[in-house]
Amino acid sequence: MTIALEAVLVAFVVVAAVSAALLRDVLGAIVVFASFSLGLSVIWVILSAPDVALTEAAVGAGVLSVLFLVTVSKTARPDTDTLVSSVDYKAVAAVGLLFVVLLATVPALPEVGSTEAPAVQETVDGERTPYGYYIAESYEETGVENAVSAILVFYRGFDTFGEGVVVFSALVGMLVVFRKEVLG
Amino acid sequence: MTELVGVFLARYYYVAFAVLVTVGLYMLIDSRNLVKKVIGLNIFQISAFLFFITAAYREGGEPAVIHEGGGPYVSPLPHVLILTAIVVGVSLTSLALALVVRIYEEYGTLDEENVREVISGD
Amino acid sequence: MKTPYSESPVITTTVRVVAPFALTYGIFVTLHGADSPGGGFQGGVIAASVFVMIAFAFGIGPTRDWVDERVLLALFVSGVVGFAGVTLAAVFLGGSALELGVFPVAIKWSIEAIEVAIGAIVTGVVTGLFFLLGQDRGGEKE
Repeated sequence: MTIALEAVLVAFVVVAAVSAALLRDVLGAIVVFASFSLGLSVIWVILSAPDVALTEAAVGAGVLSVLFLVTVSKTARPDTDTLVSSVDYKAVAAVGLLFVVLLATVPALPEVGSTEAPAVQETVDGERTPYGYYIAESYEETGVENAVSAILVFYRGFDTFGEGVVVFSALVGMLVVFRKEVLG
Repeated sequence: MTELVGVFLARYYYVAFAVLVTVGLYMLIDSRNLVKKVIGLNIFQISAFLFFITAAYREGGEPAVIHEGGGPYVSPLPHVLILTAIVVGVSLTSLALALVVRIYEEYGTLDEENVREVISGD
Repeated sequence: MKTPYSESPVITTTVRVVAPFALTYGIFVTLHGADSPGGGFQGGVIAASVFVMIAFAFGIGPTRDWVDERVLLALFVSGVVGFAGVTLAAVFLGGSALELGVFPVAIKWSIEAIEVAIGAIVTGVVTGLFFLLGQDRGGEKE
């Protein structure tokens, strides 16, 4: 049952990405990008990642698509005479090289959802991995049930602080680009 | 031969990741419109997250909310990385779009070839 | 050719009805980040999307005048200062930076406080980015 749903979602996401590449109209590409992001956020839910799915749905299909639309409204939407742009075969050959290299590494990876995957091993050679530590100790140490929030704030809080500073400096960078000092 | 196909089919998310990353990179290289280049950059970034979340997944795994009698959990550590990466992606894209708006104001065009001509003609 | 902006009664009514619920949901997700999926990032982006939705219905200029930019400034500056304050307060109380165990309150409450600070930062910055990108650029160049 889930296999059919996952197959449909993966096909939808790949078709959406390819159409975003091939469509000549910018507005069409933006709309297809929003649906790509939405399909991917449903895939996150199937992969048991609800925090990531919430963020991806709000950011990708929400704020990012709106930022693209505002940019197109501030600049220009070029007229298009054809629906699909032509494919440049030299560029396809160049990225095809990357595709072949990535595909060659796939057989070395564990199967999707395998219990032998190194990321979900609780002990390795008798020593407890970080995954085992977080699953066993994070509720006792912090009193917080959501392990993702506990790791984000308590165990790896400095990275989160850095992320807040990055987001703040993006705003400052935008002010510099527009040569303004206030937000309005 | 069928064994190789079976190997790839069992790792379907990783194959989808390779395809999506390629498509995003192609958009970044080949689009003439600057906004489409930024869209390609975003597709590239978001597809990279697919690799991480798939690596964290485990069969029958529950979301990492620890409660009594909970079964095996998926690994929460890649989720934390991806949360930060998504918000950093928003900052990056908004700065890129601000630059696109400024380029349009300066040169009057969003086409990469025309911008190159105008710059070399100055 | 840009058509002048005209208000559509369907969009304005829908946004008027939905916006308070969406904002409440954003704050709910931020505060419940400890015991269920959610947290600062998610709630912050949901609350920012409420402002974007209001700008869809009523125009970017009127929305920016209604949400005074000093409110946004206060939001994200207080978020950054709050986060940095918690980090440094742990140093003053004798632990290392961001060691939440040295505070006299249970660790869960300091985690909640930091989640609220993160939500404030993300809301203020994402709304500010949207308003800055959508500002009126007429008359300066060309």
